[in-house]
Amino acid sequence: MYAYELETNPYPSSPTPTEKDARILGGKRHKEAKSAILECIKELSQKVSGRDSNDGDFRVITLIQDVGSGKTHLALHVRNLQNRHNTICTFLDLSTISPKTMSSLYNALVKGFEDEFFVQLRTKLLEYIRDRAEQGDNSAKKALDYTFIDRLSGVTIRQEAEDIISGKKPVSVENLKKFLIQWFNHYESTIITSIITNSFDSVENLEELLGRITAISKLTHRFLGKIVLYEIDEFDGNRESIEFVKAIINAHIPASVLLLISTPSGYAEIQGINASVFDRLEKANYKIDLAGSNSVDELSEIVLEYIKYNDKKGKFKQQTQEDLTEKIRVLHDEFPDFRSVRSIINILYHAMEKSQEFNLEKIDEFAIDETIKHAYPGLKVRGSIMDVPISDFIKIRKNCNNEDVGSQLKKAVTNLVNFAHEMGNIGKLEKQNQPLDIIYQDPYGAKIGIVVVINQNHSKNFEEISNVSKSSALVDKLVILTNTNIPSSNSATIVNMDKSKMVDLIYFDSKYTNHKIINSDNEKAQMLAKTVNII
Amino acid sequence: MTNDVLEKISSTGLNGIKRAELKRIFGKDGESVLDALIEKQEIFIEKKGNAYFVWTKENYVSHLSQDDPKFKLALGVAAKLNNPNSEIINHIHNVQNTINVSHQINPNIDFKIEFDKCLTESSTSIGWTSFSQIRKKICESKHISSDHFYTLASELVEKHRENYEISSGGQEGIMMRGLVHGFVRNI
Repeated sequence: MYAYELETNPYPSSPTPTEKDARILGGKRHKEAKSAILECIKELSQKVSGRDSNDGDFRVITLIQDVGSGKTHLALHVRNLQNRHNTICTFLDLSTISPKTMSSLYNALVKGFEDEFFVQLRTKLLEYIRDRAEQGDNSAKKALDYTFIDRLSGVTIRQEAEDIISGKKPVSVENLKKFLIQWFNHYESTIITSIITNSFDSVENLEELLGRITAISKLTHRFLGKIVLYEIDEFDGNRESIEFVKAIINAHIPASVLLLISTPSGYAEIQGINASVFDRLEKANYKIDLAGSNSVDELSEIVLEYIKYNDKKGKFKQQTQEDLTEKIRVLHDEFPDFRSVRSIINILYHAMEKSQEFNLEKIDEFAIDETIKHAYPGLKVRGSIMDVPISDFIKIRKNCNNEDVGSQLKKAVTNLVNFAHEMGNIGKLEKQNQPLDIIYQDPYGAKIGIVVVINQNHSKNFEEISNVSKSSALVDKLVILTNTNIPSSNSATIVNMDKSKMVDLIYFDSKYTNHKIINSDNEKAQMLAKTVNII
Repeated sequence: MTNDVLEKISSTGLNGIKRAELKRIFGKDGESVLDALIEKQEIFIEKKGNAYFVWTKENYVSHLSQDDPKFKLALGVAAKLNNPNSEIINHIHNVQNTINVSHQINPNIDFKIEFDKCLTESSTSIGWTSFSQIRKKICESKHISSDHFYTLASELVEKHRENYEISSGGQEGIMMRGLVHGFVRNI
């Protein structure tokens, strides 16, 4: 059993998304991007509804964002929805095609369609020929191989067509071509023949490729009443890719939407290599913006969505969600490595596996710590002087916004001063004298006073700092440790306490109080004392 | 008035003069002159008892060297450092060089404003632009090194994570997740 009583690990383990993984789409921005794509499809679909499509019925959408931000996932997700949105979709990953010849690109485009699409289109095309034959078109009858003997023996045209549709009988290819050439152009005839015979020839040149793609789109619209969405992933500065995309854009494929997926780097390459294509992309009908796709809110929503989707028992309650969100926030803030959809999903996958291994009820600090130790062994908490383990860091940081963190830090600083005294870094300690928290002498005999002013209310901090500054005359040097960002003055040295310093201090305090400071900690603790101006 | 104020302060020698006394003599205008002189470090102020005393620079050093044993000690050490080959002097020079490099950019110019301006000017319709384009503009106009530019840019992007988005690729940029992130945009 996995955490949250899930029976399977909800997170995908593959480095790139599969169609199955893409069934789940989380995150506000990703959902907005999806809506924008569907809106474009809907608009075109409505425009061409009830009439023949023409070259004005073509749309270009660009989706440009960094690697690992969920672009491919989004494209595959939209592809999964094709049946619900009157669309037929083909997905072409340019990175998987080499060399990028006209023939290989065409084959990949055809393979990118679902088999079901060709089955549907084949049926509709054969029904069309059947109808023509029933209306007395002799060439249609010949195409169906419907003969005089068939008629004499009581076989109807409909039965003949049904046998061909179900694959019991073949069509007469030669007669089919003769029939088609009367009603369709060359490329349409070729495509219909290919679909009916389940055999696609390769293309020899660009003109043929465009003619056939156009034919697929026109036939899809005419016979299925659907528009075609061409999703082209990993579009970059490759010259063959650029020429291919340029040709498709220029061809204005009717009743079609071209979704181009690239990265800012790929986009810049295109800009440098082919100004003409770049200009076309700049003028795309829709530019899907995944801005903020790697923000902490977006990543949290995506992470939660996977669990929610698989949470059949309803165990993933609000409080548990907030708890996990908090952990994601810490990972995001402290580890730049985890600031992308791909990387955060990867860590969650491993953490979920750990939850099963250790029989954990939820993904807790321990699971994350174990995951990072094994999956990212070289990773350290950024800016941590005390080398705080990630599990402790997450726990302590979570409490850094609590009201009592100030008193915890006062205790920690007092213990750090005691430690510095034990190590011989400072002179004698003096009796506390309000409002100063700690008073001691430095090695030269100067009297140092330390005050900790940590409150969530910063105006309260200003007031306290102003008050304690008046006591600067009591000591030779006054050090104020605060979470409010103000500059040092003549009367006091201000040490800004960011979260990593607070965590370091509280972690040190815990070790010191529990007598767990070991030799290797001495140097780190001294360094910590220096950073907060104790020594 | 500045000269009058300086003359008055100087005339009080090592004892200095109470700030309140100066205010009485020169009035409110004198206060702004004092602030300007403090800013230029031509005069120094220190609290003695309940009053603030003011000295000229030379008098203040003399005052400290007489009354403050720690300062006297430090002065002695400093005297020993006159040897230009001393290790400490070399270290100071190194530190000064570092400081000079890091302050080549005019401190009055806010890097963020300059960065945002270049970003807006260079970006494509989707908002992305390369760090190298911004770097060229800022380094040329502000005479800062490329390394310094990327130090400031990294700090800026990290500090305002909610405002900037970076993307991998390119020949130069910010290192993150072991990748060069050569593209940036405002969000």
